Amino acid sequence: MKLELINLTKRYGNFTALDHVNITFTEGITGILGANGAGKSTMMNLLTDNIPRTEGQILFDGTDILKLGRDFRSVLGYMPQQQGYYEHLTAQTFLSYMADLKAIPKKQAREEIEKLLEITNLSDVRHKKLGGYSGGMRQRVLLAQALLGDPKVVILDEPTAGLDPKERIRIRNFISSLSRGRIILLATHIVSDIESISDQILMMKHGHVVGVDTPWNLTDSVAEKVKELPCAPEELKAIQAQYKVGNVFQRQGQTWVRVVGDELPTGGQYVPDHLTLEDVYLYYLGE
Amino acid sequence: MQELRRIGSNRRLILGLVLILLVNGFLFVREQRVQDYGLNMELPNASMVLLGDTFTTVQEPVDPGAAYQRYLNWLDRVRGLSLPDAASMLEREKTDLAAKFAGDTDTEEDHLDYVAVQTLQAQIQYLAGYGDRLANIQRNKENLLTFSLFNDTDSFAGRNIIKTAEEFEALQGVALTLGAGGAVDALLTFPLSDYCLLLVLLGTVLSFLEERKAGLWSVVHASPRGRLRLAVRRTAILFSVSVCGVLLLHGTDLALGFSLYGGAQDLHRAVQSVEALGMLPVRTTVTGFLGQYFLLRIAAAFFVGLLLWLLLAAVHNVKYTVLVAAGVLAIEYSLYTFLPVQSAFNVLKYFNLFSYISLSALYTNYLNIDLFGYPVGIRNIAETALVPLCLLLASLCLTVQCRKKPAAGRDLLGRAAYRFNGITDWVLCRLPLMGMELHKTLWIQKGIVITALLAYGVSHLSYTANIPLFSSVEEAERQYTATLAGPITEDTFAEMDAIQDQLDQVLQDYEDAKTAYADGQLSDAAYNLQTYNASAARTQSEGLAAVRSRCVDLQMLGAQHGFTPWLLDETPFLSVYGSRAQVNQQQAALLALLALTLLLAGSMACERQSGMTTLLRSTAQGRGTLLRRKFLLTVLATTFVWGTVFGTELYTLLSHFSISGWGAPARNLSMLEEFPLNCSLSVWLALLYGYRWLSLLCCGVLALLLSSCFQRMETACIGTGIVLLLPSLLYAYLGVQVLRPLAVLLPVQTMPLLLDHNGAVSEAVTWTAALLGLSAACSVWRLVGEGLPRSLSETA
Ligand SMILES: Nc1ncnc2c1ncn2[C@@H]1O[C@H](COP(=O)(O)OP(=O)(O)OP(=O)(O)O)[C@@H](O)[C@H]1O
Ligand SMILES: [Mg+2]
Repeated sequence: MKLELINLTKRYGNFTALDHVNITFTEGITGILGANGAGKSTMMNLLTDNIPRTEGQILFDGTDILKLGRDFRSVLGYMPQQQGYYEHLTAQTFLSYMADLKAIPKKQAREEIEKLLEITNLSDVRHKKLGGYSGGMRQRVLLAQALLGDPKVVILDEPTAGLDPKERIRIRNFISSLSRGRIILLATHIVSDIESISDQILMMKHGHVVGVDTPWNLTDSVAEKVKELPCAPEELKAIQAQYKVGNVFQRQGQTWVRVVGDELPTGGQYVPDHLTLEDVYLYYLGE
Repeated sequence: MQELRRIGSNRRLILGLVLILLVNGFLFVREQRVQDYGLNMELPNASMVLLGDTFTTVQEPVDPGAAYQRYLNWLDRVRGLSLPDAASMLEREKTDLAAKFAGDTDTEEDHLDYVAVQTLQAQIQYLAGYGDRLANIQRNKENLLTFSLFNDTDSFAGRNIIKTAEEFEALQGVALTLGAGGAVDALLTFPLSDYCLLLVLLGTVLSFLEERKAGLWSVVHASPRGRLRLAVRRTAILFSVSVCGVLLLHGTDLALGFSLYGGAQDLHRAVQSVEALGMLPVRTTVTGFLGQYFLLRIAAAFFVGLLLWLLLAAVHNVKYTVLVAAGVLAIEYSLYTFLPVQSAFNVLKYFNLFSYISLSALYTNYLNIDLFGYPVGIRNIAETALVPLCLLLASLCLTVQCRKKPAAGRDLLGRAAYRFNGITDWVLCRLPLMGMELHKTLWIQKGIVITALLAYGVSHLSYTANIPLFSSVEEAERQYTATLAGPITEDTFAEMDAIQDQLDQVLQDYEDAKTAYADGQLSDAAYNLQTYNASAARTQSEGLAAVRSRCVDLQMLGAQHGFTPWLLDETPFLSVYGSRAQVNQQQAALLALLALTLLLAGSMACERQSGMTTLLRSTAQGRGTLLRRKFLLTVLATTFVWGTVFGTELYTLLSHFSISGWGAPARNLSMLEEFPLNCSLSVWLALLYGYRWLSLLCCGVLALLLSSCFQRMETACIGTGIVLLLPSLLYAYLGVQVLRPLAVLLPVQTMPLLLDHNGAVSEAVTWTAALLGLSAACSVWRLVGEGLPRSLSETA
C-alpha cells in the first residue's frame, strides 16, 4: 500500500503553493513539518480532493485517486485544520452521522464510536452539544471522526493543536498504536509530537519538499551543526542577528544560547547526545 | 457612547428594526382597508344567500376608499351645523337614497353616499346620546343613595357606583363635536405595534447580554468602566430605545392614520368625541390625550424594557434567557387574556406586564377592580405605579449589573438538558442519513419554526371567494342550472320546455286575471298575488332563457372540440379557482413559495456556515449520496408545503360544496373553455395540482441550488428570497409587468395561466419547459460533477 505524489503542483492564481512535489508515502506515520504557509494544508486538501490540482498525479496503489473516487474516500480518514462541526449536534450524534456518511454499518459504528469516545476521553460529555465544547474537546471529536471506519489512509492536519499536555500524550500514543498497516500523514508545528512516534519526517518550505528521512537520521545529520555557548546578555542581540538561535537558557548563573547552522561561532561546545528535532527544524526550515 | 455604537453597529438589530417598521406600517394600512375604514358598509338591498353550506351577505361591492372620501365630504357639509340639524339633514338624504334603492335606480355614487351618510348618522347618534349616558351614571348614584335598595354603600359594588359617578362628574357639560376620529381610533385598536415595540425592547435587552454569549463577560466585568458606568449607559440606551420605538412605531401609526383618515384638523375636540374614548373620565382635548398617551407609552415601554432586562440579567446562563423571557411573557399573556374580569385574582389580569404593553385598553375601558373592598381604576393603578416602578426596576437593574458575578451560577438546567440529549441521541443515532438531513433541516435550520408559521398562515388563508349575485335573474339562472345539471341531451331541452310551459301558464293566468280584475270579478288581494307571481315568472323565464342559451353554446362548443356538453353549477369552481379567487390564490401560492424557500435556503449554506464542506467531501457518501439525499429532502419539503397549502384548498372545495359530475368534461366550465385537453373535471383537478407540485418542486430545486452559492444561512435566505420571491411580489402587488417572466408565483398559482386567455396556455408550456429545464440542468450538473460544492474560496 502506497500513496505516490508525482509532480504535484498547486497554484492559486500566480502564487505557487505547492511546486512539483514528488514523494511516496508508505505504511507508518509520516510527520510533516513546515512553517506557516509552507503548503502542508494545501497538500492535504489535494489528497482529499477538496481543491482542484493544477498539475501532477496522486496515485493510490497505482491508480489516481480522482479515478478511484468513492473507493479511495472509503479508506480515507481526514481531520481538517479548520474546525468544522454542527454546533447543535452532540458528540455522539455527530460521530454517528459521520459514520453514516462513511457508510459504516450501524452496529459496527456504535461499537467504534464507543471505543473512540473512550480513547478521546469524551465519554462523559458525549451528550453535550458541540457548541458547548471547548476548543480542545472539539479537536478530539474531529480526531475521533477521522478514525471512524478503520481507515487505511489517515490524514491529520494539526490534530494536537489546542490540546493540553495530558490529552496530547494520550492522543499521540493512540496514533502511534495505529500505525501498523496504515498510511498516516500528520502535519504539525509541535515538533515534540512527531519526534517519538513518526517513522519518517517530511520537511516542507515554500511549497517544496526540503527533506524526507527518519527522525534519527535527521538528528544525526545536524550533529555538527549545533553548538551551545555561554553569552553575556548584552551580546545576545548580536548573536541572534548573526546566527540561527534556538533555546536561550540559564545554567549555573550564566546565560547560554544554542545556535544552529553551517557557520558556527568558534567557542562553545557541540552537543551530539542532546540533539532534538527542534534543531533539525531550525537548521532546515529556520529562516 | 461606545456602547451605543456597538448596538448601533449590530447589523441584525438595525435590519430587524427597519423590517419591523416596514411590516408594521404595511399591516397598519392593510388593516384599515380590511376594516373598511370603520365605515358601515351595509346597503339596504343586501341579501342573504346560501353559498356552499353557509349563508353570506351578498351585495354589490363598495370601494371603501372612495366611500371614506365621500364620508369626509359629508362631514364637511354638516360640520358647522348643530347636531339635531345635521341629523335631520342626513335623515332626509338617507330617505332619498333608500327610495332609489327601492326603485332599483341606484347608481354606484348612491352606494358611496349611502355608506357615508349611514356611518355619519351613527356617529351623530353617539354624540347626541352622550349627555344621557353621563346623566345615567349620576342617576345610578342617586338611586343608590336615595332608595338604597341594597343599602350597603360600604360594599365594593356600592363604592364602585359612587366612585364612577364622582369621576364622571368632571365631564358634566362637556361639549362633544363632530369630526374625523379615525386616526385616533386606528392608533388605539392596532395591537401589532404594541407587540412590535415589545420585540424591539427584547432585541435591545438581548443585545446587552451579547457579551455573555461571546464569553466576554469576565473581561467586561473586570474592566474599570465595566460596571456602574456601563449599567447607567445601558439604562439610558434602553430609555432612548423606548422613546424612539414609541415615536417610530406609534408615530407611524398616527401619521398614517392622519393621512388615511384626514383627521388632523379635528384635534381640538373634547377627547370623548372619539367614540372609543367615550369612557375616559378626563377633561382634555384630543391633542392633550395624544400627548399624555405617548408620554405614558414611553414610560410603559421603558418599564417593560427594564423588567425584561432585569429578568434576563438575573438568569445566569445565556442559553436559558430566551426560554425565561418566553416563559414569563407566556404566563403574563395568559393571565392577561384568559383570566375572567370577575375573577378574584383580577388584580393579576390588570396589574400585568401586558397592561403596559396593550396600553390602549386602559383608555378605552373604564373599569374599577376590587382591591380589599375598595374600587380602584385600572388606569389609575397603571399610571400611578409606573414612575415608582421604573425607578425601582432601574435601581435593581443597576445592582444586578454591578453585583452579578460572571463565574457564579450552577447549571441545573444543563444537567437536565444533558439527560434529554441522551434520549434524543439514542434516536438520532438510529436514523439513516435521510433522517439526519431532515433533523438538520428541522432543528439546525429552524425548519420547525417555519413549519409552524406555515400552519398558522394556512389557517389564516381564505380559499373561497364570494360569487355575488347581481340580480334575481342570475339567482334564477343559478337555480335552474342546479336542477338541470348533467349531460345536455334532448331530455334537458324537453325539461326546459316543460318548465317554460309552466311559466307561460302563470303569465297566461295573469293576463286572464287582468281582464277579470278589470271586470271587477277578482278581489284586490287575489289580483295582487297574480301580479306578484307573474313578475316572478318573468324573472324566472329570463333565467331559464340564459340557461338555455348556455346549453346551446355548450353543445356547439362540444361538437366543435369533441366533448360531451354538460350543464354544470360553476359556483364552486368560480369560488375557489375563478378570477374572483385570484387574490386568495396569490396569497396561498406566495405562502407556499415563502415557506419552501425558507425551508430549503439553508440546506447547502448550512454546511458552509458550519465549515463542514471539506470534511463531508472527504467521506465515502459525502458527495453524490449526500446530494441525492438533499434532493430527496427537497422533494419531501415540496410535497409537505404543497400538501399543506393546496391540500387545504382542495379540502375546502370538497367540504364546502357538494359537487356532482366529476366525470363532466372540464371544458364545460366557462372559465376553462380554452383549456387544450378534453379531460374530465377530476382529471383536470389532478393535472392542476400536479402542475403546481411540479412548479413548486422546480422552485425548491432552484432554492437548493441558490443556497449553495452562499456562505451563511441568513444571507442564503435573503438571497434566495430575492431571486425567488421578489419578482413575484413586485409583479403581484405593484404590477411591475416587466417581471412577469420571472414571477415564479404564476406557475405555482397556475390558474392565471389558464384564465388569462391570450396565449396563456402556450405561456404555461413555456414556463414548464423553462423551469424544468433549468432545474434539471442544474441538478445534473451538480450530481454528475463534483458532488457537494467546495467552499467558495477554494473554488477560486
Ligand atoms: N484559497 C487560497 N487562495 C490563495 N492562496 C491560498 C489559498 N489557500 C492557501 N493559500 C496560500 O497557499 C500557501 C500554503 O497554504 P497552506 O494552508 O497549505 O499552508 P500550511 O502549511 O498549512 O500553513 P499552516 O501551518 O499555517 O497551516 C499560503 O501561502 C497561503 O497563503
Ligand atoms: Mg495548514
